[in-house]
This record gives sequence, structure tokens and C-alpha cells, in this order.
Amino acid sequence: MREAEAGDAPRFLDRLRAGETAAFEELVITYQHRVFGVAVRMLGNAAEAQEVAQEAFLRAHRALADFRGDAKLSTWLYAITSRLCLNRLAKGERRLRRQGEETLLRLAGGERPDVAVERSELEAALQRAIAELPEERRIVVVLRDLEGLSYEEIAEVLDLELGTVRSRLHRARADLKDKLERFLP
Amino acid sequence: MSCHDARESLSAFLDEALAPDERQRVAQHLEDCSECRRELARLEQTVALLHRLEPARAPVGFVDAVTAAARPRPWYRRVAAAVFLPFSVKLPAEATALVMVALLAVYVFERTPALRESARTQPEVREDPREKTVRPAPRGLTDRFARDPSSAERSPESKARPLEKEQDRREVPTTRKRIQSETEIPKQEAPAAAAPRSDAAPPVAAPPAAKDEGPLEKSQAENRQAPAPPSAEGTRPAPAAPASPRLAAKRAAPSADAVTGIAVRDRDAAERDLAELIARVGGRETGRRREQDATIVEAVVPQPRYAEFTQSLARLGAWRVEAERPDLPAQVHVILRLQ
Repeated sequence: MREAEAGDAPRFLDRLRAGETAAFEELVITYQHRVFGVAVRMLGNAAEAQEVAQEAFLRAHRALADFRGDAKLSTWLYAITSRLCLNRLAKGERRLRRQGEETLLRLAGGERPDVAVERSELEAALQRAIAELPEERRIVVVLRDLEGLSYEEIAEVLDLELGTVRSRLHRARADLKDKLERFLP
Repeated sequence: MSCHDARESLSAFLDEALAPDERQRVAQHLEDCSECRRELARLEQTVALLHRLEPARAPVGFVDAVTAAARPRPWYRRVAAAVFLPFSVKLPAEATALVMVALLAVYVFERTPALRESARTQPEVREDPREKTVRPAPRGLTDRFARDPSSAERSPESKARPLEKEQDRREVPTTRKRIQSETEIPKQEAPAAAAPRSDAAPPVAAPPAAKDEGPLEKSQAENRQAPAPPSAEGTRPAPAAPASPRLAAKRAAPSADAVTGIAVRDRDAAERDLAELIARVGGRETGRRREQDATIVEAVVPQPRYAEFTQSLARLGAWRVEAERPDLPAQVHVILRLQ
């Protein structure tokens, strides 16, 4: 699920800071699915997610020269992406109708929605349940259970206290447990 | 530890994200509380369900789109963006502005006679002088002289129009005078007099440019037999009486590349044959004038077939080249006098 963190090698960071085009391309190739994944799980719409993911990379590109390397590149990119998503959701800058489930199914399977639904009713239920979570909980569960970040990393990405991360994650999982009850053994 | 406190920590317990002492306390509570154990199991199963979701993948072409967007845009793109973006606002505004400017231009044009006049003369300046024909009462000349009767009396310099080339200035008035005299149009003073003739005449006739006057023009000037007093700087006074057809043919087209006389028995038949011949060699007739004892035909013939053309003239009758430019252009402007 996760690409190697080779992108944090000092030599690579130097190339990025120097504005080397090939290095930036390498960065995008390495992190494109993670950045896009967060955006699409949060926004529930592929077109919108692509827009946000691209904007996240462009912002990173502009700020690369100032990137000190205190955080991992992935954490930094997650932070930019999460902020963009939450801002968009909070400000209602949503030009495209949310199609959560259908779009997400299409993304997950690369199939037409009807085919995807047939393929996995569970997946549809999962997507719906995630989409229905409050945004501040959704981002935590996405980063933890879908992207695999540690509590500390999530706290850093979202600029939250560790305890807040823990409690939001617990609430999110408890919500999901209730929504997905019929799929549990 | 109460069930409430324990359940708050179950998620972190599952992720092994609790401090050791807290973890110990939760574990102890779980040993004693089956409900909390059940709750922990449900949470664990829920997380397992989440892990079954396939990771989302960025669409194909995403990397290219990002790297292209990250590339610094060239200056002309930035300017274009500044001028046109956002399209939804700027394009309609610009289109409206364009239409308004166009309407204003038409309005100004319609209201300004000087503009209309210069628009009328401009195409003549651009025309290939060799393709111009001299006819009785040509429209352009008629109009011009009709509009400005005094122009015939002006000095050559004062007649020259601003748009005409410098080298045109010397020759234009002279040619006009000559044409007038040869075509027996008295003075073209009144617009009414000019109108009927201009209707019949094809839209041609502009003063030929002086640059096209080569040796031929000089030889014509030398051969001129009409009573023409010497004049300076190429300004020739108009002959008082109508000139002979031969002279008329030479004078009428000072820019001609060749002048050929042909003695024919039947002028009508010869005219037809000549038209056929011109068409056959890929040329075109640019003017024809019937006079009492001769027909003056002007034509443009492609230079590669000019030799064939002249040889074929023998079919029409005895012919003689009266003047010919040594270096013929690609399109040879030839004057033929059938008599």
C-alpha cells in the first residue's frame, strides 16, 4: 500500500530544493496515489480530488526551496493535502456535486459504478460510511486506517494534540462500527 | 477503570498506541469485562473491513498534468492569460468591444468622403501595372477627373496622391493627359459626362508606374510623331488632335513590354483568331479598342509561351514587332494593333 520513503534521502531533497524538474517529477510519481487517495476519500469526487491533489503538489513545488526537512516529505504532503481538503469542505467551495459512493467505487475498482456495486456491496457500504463521517473524524480515520500513518504523524499532519487524534479516531471507528454492523461477523 | 474509560482507549489499545501503564490498565479491565472485550473485537473487525478497501489510484496522466502545471509559463502565455482569462468575462467583453470598434470604423468611413476616396484609390496602387489597360473613359480615371475637374490643370506634383509611390508621381498626370487626348474625351469636367462611359467600361485603368518604363518607353518617346513640344522631366503635354492608331497603341500603354503591328484583311476574323491565340498560350486579353482603321488589343501572355505566341501571329497576317523590351517579364504585356 505504501511506496518506499526513498524520497527523503538528503541527496533527493537537495535536488528538490534546487528546483530540479526531474526530482519534482519523481516526487509526484512517488506520492501521487497517496495524495490523491486522501483527497478522494475526503471529497468523494474524483475530479475534485484530482484538482486538489494537483494544487497540493503545486503548492509543494512553490515551497520546496523552503522545506527544511524537519518532517518527512510524505507528512508534509499529507499536511498540505489535508488542509486543502478541509478548507474546501469548510468553505463550501464545492463546485461539483458530491457523488461519494459512486465515484469512490469507480476509483477503487476502475470499473463502471454498476459493475463495481455488483462486485462489492461491502465496498460501497464502506465508502458510504466514510463519506458520512464528520470531516474532522473522516480525515483522521483516512490517514490512520487507509493511509497507515501513526498517531504522531497524524498529530503532526493535522497540527493536533495526540489525545485529540486518539479520541477522534476512536469516535470515527465507533461510528463506522455502527454503520457497518451487518458486515461484522 | 470504568467501562467508559476503557472504551475510550480501546481504539488506541488496538493500535498499541497507549503508554505502557495505561495499556496495562485497559488490559486488566478487558480481562474482567466481556462487554468491553466484545466491543474491542467489533472495533478490530471494523478496522479490518477498512483495510479491505483498495487504495485509490491517481488517474492516468496525473503526473504529466502536475509537472506541466509546475513548469514556468512563457511570457506570452502569461500575457495571454492576463488578457483573456477568465474567458467567461473577458471574451464577451472583448467581442463586444471589437464589434463596437468595427461599427465605429464603418460609421467614420461612411461619414468621411476623404476616407472613401482613398479606399477607392488604394487597390490601384497595388495592381500590377502591366495588367492595367487603357480604355476610353476608364472608370477610375473618369471618376477621379470627374470628381476633381481641376486636377487636369494641376502641376504633376500637386496631382500625386499621398498613397501613390514616389516614382508614380512623375508619370501619373502625364499618362492621364495622354489618355484623355487619345480617347477624345474632352476634359472630363462634369460627373454626368463621365457616368455613361464608366458604366460601359470595365473596372480597370490605373496610371502605370514609372518604374515599369524601360527602354521601350524611351523608344516610344523617340518615335513619337505627333506634334509634341519637348518637355522636361517626362512631363508630356497632351496632343491637341487625336493621334494615329499606331501612335495611340504605343502611347496608350507606356508600360507595355512589346508592341506589334499586324496587317490583316478581315479585322473581325483577325480579332477572333487573336482572342483564340491568346487563350491558347495561356494569356488573357486585358483590353480592346476598335478605332476607325485599327483595333488595339492589349493582352498579357506568359513569357515562356511568348515566342510561340509571336510566331503564331503570322497566321493573322503580316506582322512586325515595333517595339519590344529586351528583358521580358514573366507576364508579357503586349499591345497588338490590327489594321
